[in-house]
Amino acid sequence: MFRYNFKYESIALLRSKWIQILIVILLLLFGFATYNGQQKTFKRQADIIEANAEIADADRDMLKLLDSVEQGFQVSASSWTIPNAPMAVGNYHPRLASMPPSDLSFLATGQSDMFTHFVKPTASGDDLALNFTEMTSPVQLLFGSFDIAFVVIFLLPLLIIAFSYDVLSSERESGSLRLLAAQPISLYKWLFQKLGLRFFWVAVIMTLSLTLVFLLNQVAIGSNFAAFMGFLAITLAYALFWFALAFAVNLWVGSSGKNAVALLGLWVVFVLLIPAVLNQLGGTLYPMPSRGLMINDMRAIKAEATQRQDEILDNYLRDHPEYAVNDTTQKRSFWHRYMASQQLVKKELEPILIRYERQLEKQQLLLNRFTWVSPAIVVQGSLNQMAGNGNKSYKSYREQVIAFAQEWRNHFLPMLYNNQEFRSENYAQLPKFTFQRPTYQSQSSALFVVLCSALIVLGIGALRFRIYSKKEQSLVNQ
Amino acid sequence: MIRKTIKKEIKELFRDGRVRISIFIVLLLLGVAVWISSRQYQNTNQDYAAARLSEREVWDNQGEKNPHSAAHYGTYAFKPKYPLSLVDQGVDKYAGTSIFLEAHKRNEAQFSAATDQTGLSRFGDLTPDFILLFIMPLFIVLLGYNSFTKERELGTHSLLKSAGARGWKIVLGKWIALFLPVLAITTSLLLLAGIVLSNLPDYGVFQWSSLVAMGLVYLLYYAVFTNLVLWVSHWAKRSGISLVVSLSLWIVACLAAPKAASNIAEARHPYPTRQEFAANVLKDKEAGLDGHNPWNKEAKLLEEQVLAEHGVDSLHQLPFNFNAYRMQKGEEHEAEVYFKQYNYLKEQYQKQSGTYRSLALLSPFLPARFLSMGIAHTDYATHWDFSDAAENYRIATQKFLNDNTAQNTKYGERGYKASADFWKQLPAFDYDPPCLDKVLENNSSNLMILGMWTVLSFILLFISTKKI
Repeated sequence: MFRYNFKYESIALLRSKWIQILIVILLLLFGFATYNGQQKTFKRQADIIEANAEIADADRDMLKLLDSVEQGFQVSASSWTIPNAPMAVGNYHPRLASMPPSDLSFLATGQSDMFTHFVKPTASGDDLALNFTEMTSPVQLLFGSFDIAFVVIFLLPLLIIAFSYDVLSSERESGSLRLLAAQPISLYKWLFQKLGLRFFWVAVIMTLSLTLVFLLNQVAIGSNFAAFMGFLAITLAYALFWFALAFAVNLWVGSSGKNAVALLGLWVVFVLLIPAVLNQLGGTLYPMPSRGLMINDMRAIKAEATQRQDEILDNYLRDHPEYAVNDTTQKRSFWHRYMASQQLVKKELEPILIRYERQLEKQQLLLNRFTWVSPAIVVQGSLNQMAGNGNKSYKSYREQVIAFAQEWRNHFLPMLYNNQEFRSENYAQLPKFTFQRPTYQSQSSALFVVLCSALIVLGIGALRFRIYSKKEQSLVNQ
Repeated sequence: MIRKTIKKEIKELFRDGRVRISIFIVLLLLGVAVWISSRQYQNTNQDYAAARLSEREVWDNQGEKNPHSAAHYGTYAFKPKYPLSLVDQGVDKYAGTSIFLEAHKRNEAQFSAATDQTGLSRFGDLTPDFILLFIMPLFIVLLGYNSFTKERELGTHSLLKSAGARGWKIVLGKWIALFLPVLAITTSLLLLAGIVLSNLPDYGVFQWSSLVAMGLVYLLYYAVFTNLVLWVSHWAKRSGISLVVSLSLWIVACLAAPKAASNIAEARHPYPTRQEFAANVLKDKEAGLDGHNPWNKEAKLLEEQVLAEHGVDSLHQLPFNFNAYRMQKGEEHEAEVYFKQYNYLKEQYQKQSGTYRSLALLSPFLPARFLSMGIAHTDYATHWDFSDAAENYRIATQKFLNDNTAQNTKYGERGYKASADFWKQLPAFDYDPPCLDKVLENNSSNLMILGMWTVLSFILLFISTKKI
């Protein structure tokens, strides 16, 4: 019976152009999304390369200038920019701290449209002056990107709903269900096979079209084979979840119209409402302190530090005697005072700034605890992670940059307080930044969660079988 | 005939469990959304008032200080939230809320709410605009997809025909019956919002006329959907097909088109990255006068010119402090550089808007979205307007400070400090968003496109249903 069901259903799907339509739609959607994502990735790479080239150029000029100064020539640059002063190098010749895209970055835009991928921390700048947001039109952020994650999370379920909401009810409404009921197969089994077959075709078409589209768009599948398989697995599990929902709704609800309303309602709940409510909940339970009031605090700290600059410098040198040991001149410039008070400001600002990261962490924790409520959230998190564009990546990047900024500053402080000159041979010792990708949790837990939700929903559908097992007739007549 | 059709359709709708449940859910969601938004609105405005007050206090109590040090110390402009953001949050979440105003530099607005949220926030928020823009059209699809197909499926179609019913009368009846619940929900939501807003203690700029305009935009938007859904239902042979087609229209208009538009707009008219922008500004700045650097080529030229103008041969003989004068001239040059570079951004944004407008031919969602945000003062144009106003204030502040130094000191004099009560003389930053007429004028093309959608979809519906 299974063989017949498979064969004739497949023929019916082909004749009704279901399969052809699905192939065209999926190729178009995946194709457009992948193309968009890859364009963004290429631009991001190109931007970083260009920024690096700019720095290399500037460095060449700096070394030339430095060489002239060391040879005792008169140079025509403004006095405070001449690179024999360590602070001039620290401020006017910053290094690039960049976050290159991962190979699968195109999968999900995530937060990559909002945050920047390269900053240049200077020696005198404070951590607040590091702006990690990118220049983007907020309209674009509001609308979001047409990426693979959007197609999978939002559109795929709608396609599945459109093709499976009336699997049972249409047979009932056209009268063919009575004929079927006369066949030697349980209606539950028949429905299960029918939806299973549709899932099979969706899985095959999706796998093939994704592979084709990725290959056409120069995605390095070969070197990311495991990640690619992980992506396919989670996507298929998500599709399975929606088929399971369609199965349950077909059994529990009734007429085509009601099925459609129920499934679309569930789509709105899982894809739109639960994420929005969880987000709101996080914001309400762990509200972000007002940024306006943070600015007020910061201003007060800075104002005080400026007034007490001399005192701060004295205290600072007392705390760091190592800085001034080799200094015989005891020369004190603007930078001596400024950097000392800047260190103090940084220390006092830290607890204020950390509040924001802490609240965000708490929101994220709450979210992690409830992520299973909607498979859409699980899949979003998982795709963002594969793409390396999730919150975790950007948080890690921010932390690494702030640590690097401190390293950069610390590199120049001894030179400054010892009143040492920056020389050509010091150039090679300048600290450099390389982004370390954070270690992610494994994808299998996400996969497990989505599969479990699918199984639970299937179970709910099958429950009807247990409750009404004697009254299969009720399905036919309803 | 029309009245009878309306009566029959409405009765049928309300008998149907799915419609009752849908209406209940939509109303519940709307209630929750308005409640959440009004709380948020109040919180944000309290913070805004506190931050503004405190920042002004910091400025006023700087004590004796050199005016140019005060210019570097700078001040902040905070962006308020406007009453109708209660209904439509627009891009507020993604646009910064405070701008640092300092010497020599135009800064971008910082600290958008979205950067302080988890990745989940990108799914969207439960706000009234989400329901008005996304859920209501879906509601229309669900209510109306079988409006005609059911007549065929139940066999009442031939009865109608034999009764000699006129096509347009039946269509009009069905149209009104479908539109009435939508009208009721929209009106009650806007009324609720209006009442909440007029009862807030500091509702200041709230105007009922804006609310009415916004309501009209939404009603036009829903009329388009009603037309399309009825047209599809008339055209399709079976309810199933009608539902899938109407649903696809909804997906394309509300979900896919905005995202695709945003990708296309960005690909065709990209913004520079923050680093590129900074590099361009620096390049332009270096080509001109540097207020801090008397050895700069442009500075030397300025010196010669001023000396010639006043007919003296040394800077000491000038009636004002030339250093401060040069500082002000440098400031003006920098302001020009920023004006040019920000104008480039604005041009890119205008071109992007053009892309959105041309894609609005595929989606009535786009003009409705832009109009609604515009009226609520939560669109990008209002953000630009605010940031321009802040920049003008910054330029005026720099002049105010440099003039004080120029008038009170002599050339070469160092260590001048303005008195402690001087800072209070700087007028406070105040910003009023453009009024409704201006917003509608700026959005006239969106209005036109939405109007075109309405008219064309009406024509399509009534021509194709001449014969039922």
